[in-house]
Amino acid sequence: MRRDTGWQLAGMASSLILVAAAGLTLIGCRTTACHSPQKNPRACRFLCPEDKFAASSGGAQLWAENCARCHNDRPATSYSDAEWDVAMHHMRVRANLTGEEHRKIVEFLKAAN
Amino acid sequence: MKRVACAAAVLLLSLPQVLYSQTRPRRDGYVSREEYLRLQEELESLKAQMRQMQRVLTPAVFEGSDPKEADEKGEEEKLQQDLDAVKSELKDLQTTRESYQAEVDETIEELEKELRAARDQAQAASPGSTRFLITGYGFAGIEDRDGENSSFNAGFNPIFLWKLSDRIFFEGELEVELEHDEAEFDLEYAHLTYLLNDCITVGVGKFLTPFGIFPERLHPAWINKLPDFPLAFGHDGLVPFTSLGVQLRGGVPFWCSKLNYAFYFSNGPELNIEVPNEAGNLHFENFEDINNNKAFGGRIGLLLTPELEVGHSFQVARVGPSGTPFSEVDAVLVGLDATYVQDIDWLKGRVDVRHEWIWSDVDDATFDPDGSLGFGPVSFDNRRNGGYVQVAYRPSKVEHHIIKNLEPVVRYDMLHRPAGAPEEFDEQRVTIGLNYWLGPSMVFKVAYQFDDKDSGEEDQDALLFQAALGF
Repeated sequence: MRRDTGWQLAGMASSLILVAAAGLTLIGCRTTACHSPQKNPRACRFLCPEDKFAASSGGAQLWAENCARCHNDRPATSYSDAEWDVAMHHMRVRANLTGEEHRKIVEFLKAAN
Repeated sequence: MKRVACAAAVLLLSLPQVLYSQTRPRRDGYVSREEYLRLQEELESLKAQMRQMQRVLTPAVFEGSDPKEADEKGEEEKLQQDLDAVKSELKDLQTTRESYQAEVDETIEELEKELRAARDQAQAASPGSTRFLITGYGFAGIEDRDGENSSFNAGFNPIFLWKLSDRIFFEGELEVELEHDEAEFDLEYAHLTYLLNDCITVGVGKFLTPFGIFPERLHPAWINKLPDFPLAFGHDGLVPFTSLGVQLRGGVPFWCSKLNYAFYFSNGPELNIEVPNEAGNLHFENFEDINNNKAFGGRIGLLLTPELEVGHSFQVARVGPSGTPFSEVDAVLVGLDATYVQDIDWLKGRVDVRHEWIWSDVDDATFDPDGSLGFGPVSFDNRRNGGYVQVAYRPSKVEHHIIKNLEPVVRYDMLHRPAGAPEEFDEQRVTIGLNYWLGPSMVFKVAYQFDDKDSGEEDQDALLFQAALGF
């Protein structure tokens, strides 16, 4: 069975991206604190220069940015606090939210409910 | 004072006699009439003065005080009386307020008791410490396609979400659709996940394949901005909509932004080797592994800005059934996607631009080599590709109550099939739609689709209507 060289390269590139992603996943988990404006561990500086640190976004901003990427914003009053716990866990998995993003959005929705 | 007054009175009373004896010359005991009248007049005057003196001296003699002081004392008494009256009223008010406060406190206490009772009842009804939620969506519509009978359609997709703990979560979706003369039930997904940490989630079961973004994020009827799916994601498409296997996924801060990822192992697709007009296609509904060889795939997405995400997807799999001439046929899928969603002030609304493209390469093979199936032998370069570009705009910041809920949409989608394949025509479509949002998750869609098939196949333009609700 013939395998085209171009597709072989595509497969290799995908594998490399996979390995890089796995590595970055491990690094990223350890550097979650990098994006807190109060902390700037030395290990983070090569990933994100100090002057380019993203400001720590609030729950309202994270809610607006992440939800709108797929669908209309559902108002906070759509669900009760207990229901938002469940719905947002589902969204964390579906939208690949980080733990910090998830917690901030839940806190915002419950406060606005 | 009395003595002085008496002395003054005696003096005054004797004064006329003294005056008479000193001023009237002595005669023989007789006075003239003029003298008599004068004396009488003086006497009356003295009497009047005496009475006046009596009036003045009597209050001072008996009472011993100044009349002006008496007036001030009267006013002072009056003020004191007023003050006493005010104090009395204040005291009454205080008493009234205290009794009202007691009533209010009692009422609040009763309300709190009722609230506690209601809360206890609600908690008693909840299923323990786990949390459960039913969501999902429904839709109904009509499709009028050239060359086919127009037909209504409807579907109901309940989603069951169960949060067993802060880390363990179950989600399942059923799909109920009407086909021909019966309701078709399908398990869209049933997926158990475990949150390992802030960045990693492990999942197992049947899940929406994280290949591209349409299957996972955009296919629900209340999210999809048009009534149908793009060609590459529909029936006989290029993408595995669901997979049965295990996955690892999450989001990670990366550089100054965020990277999201998902990798999976699954049963893998099956190469169609027997159905004449589908030979060479991949079937992705695979409840059984046909060759003891798992598919491996995934997607990596990068948020260049909060509004702009780009992604790369891939899947590699052995797709030929074991024990057949196709047992070593492999397939590689590669996909690219981009999403841009932005509220733009000068446009007074939100712009939504999405693009996905998929390339599929299946190893060459000869189908029906001996002709026993009636369509072979057939061999072709089994490469396909397809995708879509979609642009939508909603003037959500326009003040008009109807216009702000309208959303025009345009989508171009295309599917390229290999030359020499049983179905070898390319198809491309332009769909123009207009949505009206009745709420954040309720929409009415109308669209017209211009269809173009090459290789002599008949074009099938279509008019589409759909109402969809997410709950």
